[in-house]
Amino acid sequence: MNTDLINSDPHERARLMISLSGPEDVSSRERSWLAAHLGSCPSCREFAESTGESIRLLRGVPITASARLISMTQLRVRQRALELQRQQERFWVICACSAAVTLCSAVTTALLWRGFAWMGQQARFPALVWEGGFVLIYLMPALLVGILLLARGTFLADHNRSYQDWSSY
Amino acid sequence: MNATACYFVNAMAAENTEIARGLRRRDSDLLDQLIEKYQHRLLRYLLHLTGRRELAEDFFQETWIRVLERGSQYDGRHEFSAWLFTIARNLVIDHLRRKRPASLDSLAGADDAIPSDIPATGQLSAFDATVQREQKEQISAGMQHIAVEYRETLVLRFQEGMSLEEIATLTGTPLGTVKSRIYRGLSALEPWVKGAR
Repeated sequence: MNTDLINSDPHERARLMISLSGPEDVSSRERSWLAAHLGSCPSCREFAESTGESIRLLRGVPITASARLISMTQLRVRQRALELQRQQERFWVICACSAAVTLCSAVTTALLWRGFAWMGQQARFPALVWEGGFVLIYLMPALLVGILLLARGTFLADHNRSYQDWSSY
Repeated sequence: MNATACYFVNAMAAENTEIARGLRRRDSDLLDQLIEKYQHRLLRYLLHLTGRRELAEDFFQETWIRVLERGSQYDGRHEFSAWLFTIARNLVIDHLRRKRPASLDSLAGADDAIPSDIPATGQLSAFDATVQREQKEQISAGMQHIAVEYRETLVLRFQEGMSLEEIATLTGTPLGTVKSRIYRGLSALEPWVKGAR
């Protein structure tokens, strides 16, 4: 704290030292200087007394949390922890499903392609037709899910249900 | 550093590491203990920051929810209380920003005086208890009339016993500003203290 006090006037310096009077902040040399200054300066001495009183009163103001607040906070934290745990579990289920779907599609795509080619040849369809059919069948699940999700955001949604209702799930 | 100080520093570091581990696991029992341990300190800080009991209690709950959600961000290398107060402070600032673009300054001069819970003590005479109660009410009222950045710094310094460096880190202000806020805050409180005498 010394550096920014060196050039200030003695009263200002003394008052700053009094305000920042933590044991780690003032050296013994500064303490001696302060004691000498307080001995000769009544206004700084009054400031020291008033500051000491302020600090004593500040330390003594008792503010306590009610038992109700604590138990309510603990309950809310536990509920949120449970929600987060469920979210985490759902996340891992989705990850596992995605991995399984990717693996299955990697295996079945080639087989499905060959099956469509064989059926196209048997039915003597042009290549463009059975290839189009393959793409349609391949994308059908994703398209259906997309349509359902969009519908959920519009006419399938229950607009009477509040956010609080959802949070209970 | 002597052996006792060294022992305490190591014990605190071990405790912080343990807290960090528990928060990463989202350990509800640990959180229950932390809520109980820091209840008064956190509420007192929030109360002085917001100036309103109901608001402070809301922030108190939100702070612990945030601690649960972001517990993995606490590395255990710093004091847990400083991290906790930083979360609480950021919540208050976010709340104010949502209301209107503002800083902590807009909380200055909140009209509601902080209700202090002054316990009745059997050791003091009725006169002494009344005087003490009046003095504490006076200082609480004084705190509500000084700028919020001074109030916050005074609470962290004299009620939480934080070092100047810790306050500077928590509030994101230079050390010189922290010193000046303490000085100015105490000077601003002076008339209230004189009134309480």
